[in-house]
Amino acid sequence: MSLLELQQATIRFGGLVAVNAVSFALNEGDLFGLIGPNGAGKTTCFNMITGVYEPTSGKIIFQGKDISGTPPSKIAKLGISRTFQNIRLFNSLSVLENVVVGGFLRHRTGLMSALAYLSGSIAETALLKEKALELLEELDLLEVANVRSADLPYGRQRRLEIARAMATQPKLLLLDEPAAGMNPQEKQELQDMVRKIRDNHGMTVLLIEHDMRFVMGLCERIVVLDHGEEIAQGPPETIRKDPKVIAAYLGQAV
Amino acid sequence: MKFWTTRIVSFIIGIGGCFVIDLLSHRFVGSYEQRLVVLAGLYVTLAVSLNLINGITGQFSIGHAAFYQIGAYTAGYVSRTYITMGGHNPPAIPWLLGMMVLGAIAASIAGFVVGLPSLRLRGDYLAIVTLGFGEIIRILVQNTDALGGSYALDKIPKIQPIWLVWLLAIVCIAVCRNLIKTARGLTFLAVREDEVASSAMGVDVTSVKVTAFIIGSAFAGAAGALLAHYEGLITPTTFTMDVSFIILTMVVLGGTGSITGSAVAAIFLSYLPEYLRGLKTSAGEPLVVSGAAVIAGLAAVVVGVAFIKRILDSGRGTPRSRALKYLGIAVGVVILEPIISFALHPIKPLSSMSIEAGQLRMVIFAATLIVLMLLRPEGVFAHHEFSWSWVRKLFGKRPVPQAEVAA
Repeated sequence: MSLLELQQATIRFGGLVAVNAVSFALNEGDLFGLIGPNGAGKTTCFNMITGVYEPTSGKIIFQGKDISGTPPSKIAKLGISRTFQNIRLFNSLSVLENVVVGGFLRHRTGLMSALAYLSGSIAETALLKEKALELLEELDLLEVANVRSADLPYGRQRRLEIARAMATQPKLLLLDEPAAGMNPQEKQELQDMVRKIRDNHGMTVLLIEHDMRFVMGLCERIVVLDHGEEIAQGPPETIRKDPKVIAAYLGQAV
Repeated sequence: MKFWTTRIVSFIIGIGGCFVIDLLSHRFVGSYEQRLVVLAGLYVTLAVSLNLINGITGQFSIGHAAFYQIGAYTAGYVSRTYITMGGHNPPAIPWLLGMMVLGAIAASIAGFVVGLPSLRLRGDYLAIVTLGFGEIIRILVQNTDALGGSYALDKIPKIQPIWLVWLLAIVCIAVCRNLIKTARGLTFLAVREDEVASSAMGVDVTSVKVTAFIIGSAFAGAAGALLAHYEGLITPTTFTMDVSFIILTMVVLGGTGSITGSAVAAIFLSYLPEYLRGLKTSAGEPLVVSGAAVIAGLAAVVVGVAFIKRILDSGRGTPRSRALKYLGIAVGVVILEPIISFALHPIKPLSSMSIEAGQLRMVIFAATLIVLMLLRPEGVFAHHEFSWSWVRKLFGKRPVPQAEVAA
């Protein structure tokens, strides 16, 4: 059974069909790429999967259950987490605190325990911080753990977004343009990091990216969108040669 | 082990402090000053509870007086009906505690109702709704004869424990501080920072916002119950928009999000007008200043602010040289004021106008806020909080860095 399956997912904003009958399926452990020119509907796809938008028609099946229309916080609890194309960190919180917020959805203690500062709540907070520190170490952010996240350089902010998403212990991790604004060396490191996340944590990864070399070098399967339509699907080698994909990126031969 | 020591010491200092305040205010000062001590305590509760909604959760609410009023009228009405009219005579303190709980429940129901639109509204729009809500409650009470209408709800039995007022303030501070120390509290801050990202991280934004409103308004309601029983008589004019704005000013002045800031600013701003009112000339008359002096004072402050702003923007110099410059500017402002005042003297309308110092409080409030917004928009305390490790640092002992990371 596939982990996530989009069945004819469609979303309309008024007269505009942003995503039209897109279907693809991710198996557990996949490194899956979602590519396409600007405005193709990639981020809209992410927003449908994470519950920001409800699809107009079609289904989104996660672990055998239809999750379309479920609110974002519930979807995060089911095990889908994401990063954002335009970085959305909790700016005035420290790096560590950002990751702790991510981990909090697996909490058990109640509100009263926090208000009275009972031992359950204290222990839980300490545990979350410990786990957060482990994650920060893994993503090479430990030395900036107490820095305000807004004060981090761009590349580190992107990595922090990944750390925060991983703290929710997702089964499926959605990365929206994780390599944007990085230099070639950073991109190389990020590739290794994403692969390690999949191998060590068993997370399935679905990522949007514009850098073809990055996607082709990392993803095992790719789906291509253009103007909200799915135009190709398959391993990198076939995608690279697909005439429709070439046309979408470079324009049609006259 | 160290954790428990700190906790027990804080407990003892907190509760002991309440009784010390109570004792001191009963033994050494008159009823007027006692009333100030009570009002300061109530304002601390109000400011800190509003800070939970505004500063920590980031929901811009400016109708806090409404929750205060709901608590006061609910508790006042029930007390009056049961004790004054019904002739019952329950033990005072437990009864008052019960009334505080009742006021808190009534206000938190209202907080829940106001919290609901906050799920859809942001920023200015929410501010308008809460402002409207505050006015609706006040006008509703004003037109309800059973609640005394626009006159007063009187004959509320007087129960006046000053220690309980401050205990409520300390409990309110403790609850807010506990919350932000835990992972759950961080989710409140996360909602303030970015709602979309919070919900993507599994934070139930709806419940966080409503929870903040419920807790914040419950404390305001409990404070209202205390006020009703302290004064024995409450009128709708006690809860006008001014009160909401003064509480909001306390939060902003102290540093939005800082509990310490809210508490300190609440004490400061509730005493400032009384201090100004109490200013006397050497002959014992209320101090009167001329219009020229007021204008000169404002002008001198403007010049001072301009210079400080320049130093801040340039960002040069060691802390020491900067401190000296600030001192120089402060002295300059004090010297400049009489000079400008003298220069303005020939202008008749200004020099012949005389204002009592006590009436200047709104001018000083406004000027303080403007200066603050120019020089330190994040508030006096910004995001900083009082902590024992800070005290230890103050007395020269360096805290262990690892402990900071782990704690």
